[in-house]
Amino acid sequence: MTVRAATILRQRYLHAAWLALHLLLLISFSCRETFRVVAEGPTIVPGWFKNFSQKAQTFFSLALGQKLPASNPVREALNTYVNVAGIETGYGYFAPNVPSGYKLVFELHHPDGRVEYELPSVSSAAAALRIAGLLENIGRTPYDAMREILVKTLAQSVWHEHPDVKSVRAILGSVTLPNVREFEHGNRESYEFLYAYDFSLTNQPVKPHDR
Amino acid sequence: MEAFRKRLLEFLIPPETDHWLAILRVGLGVEVMLYSLSLRTDWTYLLSGTIRRLAEALLSLESHFIPRLGWFAALAAQLGVDENLLLFTAWASLLVAGCGLFIGLVSRVSAIVAWFVHLCAAKSGGFMSYGMDNFVTIGLFYLMLSPLPDQFSLDWRLRDLRPKDPQFLGFWRRVLQLHLCVVYFFSGLAKCLGSGWWNGSSVWRALIRPPFNAIDPEILVRGKYLFPIAGILICVLEFGYPFFIWSARTRKVWLVSVCAMHVAIAVTMGMYLFSLVMIVLNLAAFTPAGFPCRTNRSVYNRRELLPDVMSS
Repeated sequence: MTVRAATILRQRYLHAAWLALHLLLLISFSCRETFRVVAEGPTIVPGWFKNFSQKAQTFFSLALGQKLPASNPVREALNTYVNVAGIETGYGYFAPNVPSGYKLVFELHHPDGRVEYELPSVSSAAAALRIAGLLENIGRTPYDAMREILVKTLAQSVWHEHPDVKSVRAILGSVTLPNVREFEHGNRESYEFLYAYDFSLTNQPVKPHDR
Repeated sequence: MEAFRKRLLEFLIPPETDHWLAILRVGLGVEVMLYSLSLRTDWTYLLSGTIRRLAEALLSLESHFIPRLGWFAALAAQLGVDENLLLFTAWASLLVAGCGLFIGLVSRVSAIVAWFVHLCAAKSGGFMSYGMDNFVTIGLFYLMLSPLPDQFSLDWRLRDLRPKDPQFLGFWRRVLQLHLCVVYFFSGLAKCLGSGWWNGSSVWRALIRPPFNAIDPEILVRGKYLFPIAGILICVLEFGYPFFIWSARTRKVWLVSVCAMHVAIAVTMGMYLFSLVMIVLNLAAFTPAGFPCRTNRSVYNRRELLPDVMSS
C-alpha cells in the first residue's frame, strides 16, 4: 500500500468514525424528544407506554450528559457540538398535535382617558413568524419572572411608538381554535385570558394579574 | 469481516460528482439572501435588547461556547461601537456571504461566515427561532465541511481553484442523506402518535392557526373531506421516507411528493423560507446524479473519486 493510499484509508476511517458518533447523537436527541412528547401527551399510545417514555427520556438525558452540572466540560463540549451542528432538537414539528397559539394585546391608556389597543407589530411576514414563536415561549414558560420580562420588553417597544401614553396593560391569552364542525356552525377562534401586566410611566409593572 | 468493512466504507464513501454540492451551495445561498432580506427592517428590533440577553443567558446554561451575538456586542461595547452598527454589520455579512455562496465566490469562506453569523443570530434570537433556523444551520454546517468549490462556482471557473479532497464528495452527500432520513422518520413518527393527523384535525388546525393562516378558512372548509387524506399522506410520506427514498424505483416518487408537500406548506402556511430550505436539502441529497444539466464527469478522474485503497 502506498503512503497516499494509506493516508486516504486512514481519512476514510476517521470520517466513518465521526459519522457514527454524529448519527448516534442525532438519533439519541431525536429519541429523547420523541419520548418527551409521548410522556407529556396526549397521544394515541396506551398509558403504560407513557411511563416507559418518561423513563426512556430520563435515560437519554442521562446518556447525553444533560443531567450533569452546567459547568461540566463534557456537557459543555457536547452541547456546543450539537448546537453548532443543528442537531440539538427533535424534529416533531406540529406533532403529535398542533398546539393552540397565544395572543398578546396591549391596552394603551392615554392621559386624556382614551384607550387604544395594539398588537406586537413587525414589518415583515418573516418577522411575524418569529414573533409568533416568541409568544409561544411567553405562553408556555413555567417561569413567571421570565414571562414578565419578555412581556415587558415587548411593551417597551410599543411604548416607544406611543410615547404619550400614561400606562400600558399587556394581556396574554391563549387562542382556542374551532374544529371544522364548530367553524361551519359559525364559531370562530376565541381567546382565554391567561395573564395581565400593568406597566406605568415609571416602567415598573404595577401588578401582574393571574387568571 | 473485511468484506463487511469494505462494503460499509463503499456505502459511506461512494464515488460522487459535485452536482449535489452545487445545488446545496446555490440553494443555501438563495436561502441566506432571502432570510437576510426578509428580516432587514426588523433585524435590529428582533436581536437587540433584553430578549436577546435573556436568550443568551439561557444559552449559557447549556454551554458558554455556543456562538452568539452577545460576544461581539460585549466587544463592541468595550471599543465604544454602537450595538446597532454591530447588528447591521452582522446582517450585511450574512447577505454578502449568501451572495458569495450563490455565485460561488470564495465559497468556503462564504459558507463559514454564513454558518457562523446565522448560528449567532439563531441562538441569540432563541425565543424567536423556528424549524427553518435549525435546517439552515444543518445545511450550512455540512456545506462548509464539504469539498468546495464545485465545478459550477466562480472559484472553479475564474480562480481555477479545486477542492482538496474530492474523494469525500460522496461521503458528505451520504451524511446529508442519512440526516434527512432521521429527520423525516422522527417527524413522521411523532405525527403518527397524535390522533389529529389521522382524522385530519391537525391539518385544519395547522392551516387556520395564526400566523400560518395564509388562506381564508371559509375557502379551506370547502375541502374538509381532504384533511384526513392529507394528514395520513403526510404521516406516510414522512415516516416512509427512510424506507422508500433509497430504492431507485420509489426514489423519484418520494422525492417529488416530499418537495410537493413543502411547496404546499409554503403556499398554504406562508412558510416560504422553511419550505425552500427543505426542498434544497432534499434535492441536494437525493436528486439523481444525472440531473438535468450538462454532466461533466471528466472534471475528476475516477482514481480521484475512488482511490483503490481497499484492495491495496
